[in-house]
Amino acid sequence: MAEVEETLKRIQSQNGVQGIIIINSEGIPIKTTLDNASTVQYAGLIHQLVMKARSTVRDIDPQNDLTFLRIRSKKNEIMIAPDKDYFLIVIQNPSD
Amino acid sequence: MATSAHNKAPRMPGEERPSSRTTTISVSGIHGAHQSTRDTNSIIGFPSRKHFRVGGGSKVLEKSALQTPRQVVRVFDEEDNDVTPQPLYQAHPAAPHAKSCRLFLDEISAGSASDQTTATGSFTMPFSRSMFGSSRISSQSTIESLNEEIEDTFSKWEMPISFPDVQGKRNTVKEHVAKDMLKEVTDVYISEADSISLLDIPSTLMSVEADDTEVIMEKNNQYAELCRTRMGNNKYVDRAVQTLNGAAKNKQVQSDSNVMVDSATTVTSWDIYDALIRPEQHEEVSSREQEGAEYPGAAVDPNSGAERSASVGSTASTASTASAASSLNDGEALGSSLNTESDLQLNVLSETFQHCLLVMERSILRNTLQPELAAYRQLPVIEESQVKPGTVEKRQEDTESPRSPAVERLWAFSYERSRGRSVSSMAWNKINPDFLAVGYGELGSSEQKAGLVCCWCLTNPTWPEWDVQCDSAVTSLDFSSINPSQLAVGMRDGTIAVYKVNSQHNVSCVLSSSQCPNRHLNPVWQLRWTQQELNLTGDEMGESLFSVAADGRISRWFICSSGLDCTDLMKLKKIQHTKKKAGGTRTESVLSALTPGLCLDFHPTDSSVYLVGTWEGLIHKCSCSNNEQFLETYRKHFCPVNSIKWSPLSPGVFLSCSSDWTIQLWQQDHQNPVMGFSSTQTAVCAVDWSPKWPTVFGAIHEGQLEIWDLSSSILDPVLVQPAAAGVQMKSLLFATQTDCVLVGDSDGQVTVYQLKNLRAGGSSQVDLLEGLICSASQNSFKKYTQM
Repeated sequence: MAEVEETLKRIQSQNGVQGIIIINSEGIPIKTTLDNASTVQYAGLIHQLVMKARSTVRDIDPQNDLTFLRIRSKKNEIMIAPDKDYFLIVIQNPSD
Repeated sequence: MATSAHNKAPRMPGEERPSSRTTTISVSGIHGAHQSTRDTNSIIGFPSRKHFRVGGGSKVLEKSALQTPRQVVRVFDEEDNDVTPQPLYQAHPAAPHAKSCRLFLDEISAGSASDQTTATGSFTMPFSRSMFGSSRISSQSTIESLNEEIEDTFSKWEMPISFPDVQGKRNTVKEHVAKDMLKEVTDVYISEADSISLLDIPSTLMSVEADDTEVIMEKNNQYAELCRTRMGNNKYVDRAVQTLNGAAKNKQVQSDSNVMVDSATTVTSWDIYDALIRPEQHEEVSSREQEGAEYPGAAVDPNSGAERSASVGSTASTASTASAASSLNDGEALGSSLNTESDLQLNVLSETFQHCLLVMERSILRNTLQPELAAYRQLPVIEESQVKPGTVEKRQEDTESPRSPAVERLWAFSYERSRGRSVSSMAWNKINPDFLAVGYGELGSSEQKAGLVCCWCLTNPTWPEWDVQCDSAVTSLDFSSINPSQLAVGMRDGTIAVYKVNSQHNVSCVLSSSQCPNRHLNPVWQLRWTQQELNLTGDEMGESLFSVAADGRISRWFICSSGLDCTDLMKLKKIQHTKKKAGGTRTESVLSALTPGLCLDFHPTDSSVYLVGTWEGLIHKCSCSNNEQFLETYRKHFCPVNSIKWSPLSPGVFLSCSSDWTIQLWQQDHQNPVMGFSSTQTAVCAVDWSPKWPTVFGAIHEGQLEIWDLSSSILDPVLVQPAAAGVQMKSLLFATQTDCVLVGDSDGQVTVYQLKNLRAGGSSQVDLLEGLICSASQNSFKKYTQM
């Protein structure tokens, strides 16, 4: 538990990290470092995307599973690490 | 009527009336029945409808066109039995046949039979005759009149059914005939058959002058009167009977309609896979999530709580857009209570979440360190589009510059705990070239400071994978090659501990030599795991740990019941040039006659031969099989030998460095070094061969890193990298698969430098080295100059 907190703090202090969101498997944010509105928006949108991505991967091969998802955009990069029950979303701007 | 009937009546019994003429053989029975019914009708006072039923056959007679063989009186059934109807008068009441319609005939016949008796009994002959006659006429008329009635009621009655055969099976004959009819045109001859008398009751005649004439006459008259007045007689009243129908009452019942709920689900192929393959894991998850859902406190909307607990266990993607939206709304509403929930839920996720965090952290760092990591991996560096123009120019400069060797600093491993500690030793993991174990410990200071062992992964230079605090300063490290998760750590107080990485952050000390009575009591300067093929007794052995310590002993460690135990492989005895006792060399004086050994290296191919560098500056080549004597002694240094390294690519060549500011290159056959290198007047702390280039090695002075390339220059190092201000470099390690060098310094940082543009060598370089050595050794005594 403490390790989780510590790791999250470390991640937060990394170079260019703009925000961290943890959402559960239904898309409800559990922990976030962004403001409420952005959190809710990210959570809803990304949850659907991850579900779709996971479904895609597993449809092709049911023994496979999604481990990491990265969306690189012009301004930043959204990284999503899906767990069985939780999703960790980190938004980073790597050029900072 | 009756009198007129009388006039018409007299006929011979047996004669037929034209209207009642029945013609066919098959019908003759009908005639008989017909006639009988007629008679019964006349006698019986009350007409019973069922008897009249038979009369309807007359109409049917017209319809049916049957073959009439002429003058066939005899009736045969299927079995050729003579079933010619006998006079009914003599016939027995027809044996009951299966056909129900025969019942009527039976009744008729029975009735007729009974009537016969009554007829004969009650009436005198003449009267009966007249009755018959009248009956005939009347029955005729009645039959005719009744025909309409009968037709109404039994219009459908067909003759074949209504006139069953009296004695035979006429139906089948009927059908047979009908089938024949279909095939051919038949000529129908209608002729009068002979009359068959079925009932012959002659009229009784009596004289008018008889005694009871008047009575009989009276009766006759009465009867005639009755018949005549029957129609409009008041005695007979038609009466209708009606059953009362009760008043209908409507009652309505209405039931609640079943509530129908549509539920749909989208099932994907992996849902099916999950359901089939991993049901037990789902149970675990669902049970865990049930507990997790119970945690939210009173602030949680129970509706959302139920949603969460209900749908968490399943992976089927039900149409959940609505629920997702609602849950988002709930999420907004629950903004205040997020924190309390998060603490509770993090309890649940800490176990499975670590991996996610790890991956995420590495990914983030990879983003920031992407160019450096790519350079390390010797991959082309991806230029980002948003790089500022200034940096672009700078990079272009670098690429355009001529290929001169350069050292580029990539990154440094360092974290908060390691700052301030001096790096004492580093070791690569034997299996995974990305893992690096670093031991921290102050060597020079007198105070005992706790040591630290960290295992770093290349992908995360900001936080080690695991770290272990040790009791005393760490002086040496080595990874085992058989068990790559085992790390042997030697410490300043002489303890050797073996750590094993159990899981992600779980490192446990598996073995320790702290209990061993033979343990070192002085700093363990070097540890080596080595594969031994044969031990002393000739058995095959696995890997064993060798250590050299400041108490002058070289020990081999093995695992015993209480931890590690060692056997001494060699004792480093002080060899005094001047004074050498003629006697035994193993005199043990109070003062230990052993000299501290500082470094140890096993021959890369022959694992039983090793080199030891001592405090005195001597280098001994020893063998595992010989405990007593050194194979060879190399004398050159006069200060402690800090490091000895065999060349991994050139056999039989090794380097040694010492605090006398020199590095010596030796060839194992020669007592004197082949070449010596010196650059600055500072002690050389460590030296290491490059694993890729046979002629390249690195050396660390306290203030700088030097890279020597013997193919280019044997006098000066090719590259010199000064240390950062205020920091002393302490240890050196070449990366195994890339051209990078790791340097540990006194501030706890392990810096990764990339060597660029060194002219890469191949096997030709080995020959070059050999050539150099040969040429140098020939002139060794002449060319060699000692600093």
